[in-house]
Amino acid sequence: MLLPLVAVVTAVHATGIARWPGFSDDEGTYVAQAWAVLHGQGLTHYTYWYDHPPLGWLQLAGLRGLAGPVLDDLSAVAAGRVLMLVPLVASCTLLWLWARRLGLRVPAAALAVALFGLSPLSVAFLRGVYLDTLALPWMLGAFVLAATPKRRLWSYAGSGACFGVAVLTKETMLLLLPALLLQVWQTCDRRTRAFCVTAFGSVLSAVGLAYPLYAALKGELLPGRDHVSLLAGVVFQLSGRAATGSPLDPSSASAALVDSWLAIDPWLLAVGVLSVPTALLVRRLRPVTLALLVLVVVGLRPGYLPQPYVVALLCLCALVAAGLADTAVGAVRSAPGQPRRLVRPVVALLVVGGLGAALAPDWASGLRTATTVDANEAGRQATAFLAERVDPRARVLVDDSYYADLVEVGFQPQFGVVWFYKLDQEAGLDPSVAERLPGGWREFDYIVSSPVLRSALEQQPDSLEEVRRALSSSTPLQIFGTGDGRVEIRRIVGEGTGSGVPNLAAP
Amino acid sequence: MSDVGGAVLAVVLAAVSLGLFAVAVSTMWWMLHAWRDPETLVETGFVQEPGEPQLSFSLLVPARHEEAVLEQTLEQLRRLDHPSYEVLAIVGHDDQGTADVARRVAARDGKVRVVVDHNWPKNKPLALNTALAHCRGEITGVFDAEDEVAPRLLRVVDGVFRAEQADVVQGGVQLVNFRSSWFSLRNCLEYFFYFRSRLHLQERHGFIPLGGNTVFIRTALLRQVGGWDPTCLAEDCEIGVRLSTMGRRIAVCYDAHLVTREETPDTVGALLKQRTRWNQGFLQVLRKGDWRQLPTRRQRWLARYTLCQPFLQAFAGIAIPISVATALFADVPIGIAMLTFLPALPTVAMVVFELVGLREFCRVYYLRPQFSDYAKLVLGTPPYQILLAAAALRAVWREARGHRGWEKTSHAGLHRTAASSTVAAGTGPAPR
Repeated sequence: MLLPLVAVVTAVHATGIARWPGFSDDEGTYVAQAWAVLHGQGLTHYTYWYDHPPLGWLQLAGLRGLAGPVLDDLSAVAAGRVLMLVPLVASCTLLWLWARRLGLRVPAAALAVALFGLSPLSVAFLRGVYLDTLALPWMLGAFVLAATPKRRLWSYAGSGACFGVAVLTKETMLLLLPALLLQVWQTCDRRTRAFCVTAFGSVLSAVGLAYPLYAALKGELLPGRDHVSLLAGVVFQLSGRAATGSPLDPSSASAALVDSWLAIDPWLLAVGVLSVPTALLVRRLRPVTLALLVLVVVGLRPGYLPQPYVVALLCLCALVAAGLADTAVGAVRSAPGQPRRLVRPVVALLVVGGLGAALAPDWASGLRTATTVDANEAGRQATAFLAERVDPRARVLVDDSYYADLVEVGFQPQFGVVWFYKLDQEAGLDPSVAERLPGGWREFDYIVSSPVLRSALEQQPDSLEEVRRALSSSTPLQIFGTGDGRVEIRRIVGEGTGSGVPNLAAP
Repeated sequence: MSDVGGAVLAVVLAAVSLGLFAVAVSTMWWMLHAWRDPETLVETGFVQEPGEPQLSFSLLVPARHEEAVLEQTLEQLRRLDHPSYEVLAIVGHDDQGTADVARRVAARDGKVRVVVDHNWPKNKPLALNTALAHCRGEITGVFDAEDEVAPRLLRVVDGVFRAEQADVVQGGVQLVNFRSSWFSLRNCLEYFFYFRSRLHLQERHGFIPLGGNTVFIRTALLRQVGGWDPTCLAEDCEIGVRLSTMGRRIAVCYDAHLVTREETPDTVGALLKQRTRWNQGFLQVLRKGDWRQLPTRRQRWLARYTLCQPFLQAFAGIAIPISVATALFADVPIGIAMLTFLPALPTVAMVVFELVGLREFCRVYYLRPQFSDYAKLVLGTPPYQILLAAAALRAVWREARGHRGWEKTSHAGLHRTAASSTVAAGTGPAPR
């Protein structure tokens, strides 16, 4: 049952994986960082400033290394997306195991995997090269191990290890700790509980401590005058990021983000979240429901709501909904004194049919978009143009999804192809760029105006001043695509601009 | 530092760290065996055949300069709940004080006999072998002169012999005076983890270094193998290894209500001597090599590991801080520096498990743990590690130099509660 299901899910995700949705800046960043790891340049392509723990793109680099030349024909981010099928398959399998360990019957476990894997929202986000997706199998693995039916001590220790890796892959997973502890507590035997909880906790802290230990050994644990630090990185993530507001406030950016999720698929999130109050009454579903509840509550608070936050929500929604369905079926089955032979299939048919009828049109159109639309054509053309027509000694300002590909074709890393965020001096996140490029936007020959870059300018009207100047002081050289999805390659013109590389060939 | 030197240092540090990590993790694995799942926890208890006792026992109590505690021990032993057993107090021909105490009890009860050991120099295996000739029971059990034995023990052991078709039954031993010195708590916990958990895994794998007391062996089998090895400082471990090698069925059972209570050594010096003797005994067993005849390769590796374990553990305790310090002060790549911390993680985790063990220990022995106990446990860890390392070094040194004398542990009766020591009130502390 599991195998064909996972095969279908994988096929759906794989079809058009590099074409839709459009590459995001985050994807480019993680791919570029994995690229830096693979090429022995350290943890990142710029100074690593403890924005996220590095385990996510280390895994990505490992996967890319394993895949070898098979993916060489694809652009860097496209290759990254193909690799994301690995955590997808792992997540589906582990979600199934978790469902089974929670006592869900096979059809219910299959329902959980299908809801999770086939929702157009999953396709949209799990295709992306996001740390959340890389963390997902580790998080699910932690819950699967914590739900050990034989209540094995070393299973709890393994759960702690998995969760540690999940947190070091994407730090927001830490939010799920209370739910995981509940799962551990629920399955533990009273007589061995103290040892099991200790095993879980000590392995988790041991893995978790590796991160501050790394920082401490580099002398970057605490903030200092001219170096990055773990503490500064944490402070930035917790309070430095521009708040996107609460999704409950209709005018906020968070509300717009949630709306964009619901536009792709309103069903899975709605069914999952609406199941929470009832599911909390079912003992075996309490850990997963608590996990979902925590994520929803934290997501609703005003503050910074990251794009891929939805990734963890999806699988939890699927499991809570399927678990509740399983419980309901069980209750109906065991209810005494009813003409069950007739009632049961009718009820089941009504529920499944109704839900299916409601879902089907939305999901079908969502999946059609996901498998047929090409949102990255302009980007591919722009990369090809830069590779073929522009002198690789030129200095280009780009969004991060172009970085690795341009460096591959000969542009200079770090200060030849420059990620536009690094020019945001106000944030002061990377002293090395300001030091190396004191002239700011004037040091550049070209700027690539992509949808990612324009939406960043739009969303952060008070920052990225240098990028705005570069854009306004440039003229389009070549335009690919039309409308919001267009990519413009623009030449920066004006007094004292340019990288100063002699005899730069003009395209 | 030259590049080559740096690279060599990095490789050495990495290898040492991985080795130490393996030692620490395996130590932890053994320590936590009993709690690996609820089924295992249940299995570690006594599985007995129901019904009336059917076997007869001879209980050997070797005593040397033990007049302070022996009388109470013998009094307890003669009141055990079992229809058919005798107690043989073994005293030295040169130890009149202890002999007098033993004879006094023997005069009160025909169950107690006194055996005088004329061997010279004196040691425990010689004394046991002397008494073996006088044993009338089908089963021979060994107790130490200061032991507190549970009244129901024999009846239960009788049942285990029958239920498991066992040749040997090893019961639990527990040090209980955990507040009498800074190290006594650690010492008690060591016993707790050893008898509660570790021995059961040894049992499962068919290689058991037996304990020094509360061990019961079929008398005929004992005579067949020639009794205890008088040249070995760990005669208990040695005979366990020999019987394991013969494939004899050894049952290990633990029940908090049936453990034999003992006391910790009263001074650091005494503890050091005791540990040196055990370690040296393990070395002797390793060198003697009976374990090479174990049937499977896995068992032979287990034998090597078990007999080396006190040394591995002691050296790990010292080597971990040294390798971390080296990595910090010598300029090694950050990956290697992080690797040197790896063995520290299970080591710290072990201390946390010991804290949990202390809680468990207090629970099963109806004690109320105090904050100071937990603090003592944590703070006592480094000095205790140093002590273990010293004992390990001392054992190697003595064995290499051929010093094989018996350094005996003396006993003051610190493990006895006020209520139960009234019996001993008549015997004042004797000079030793």
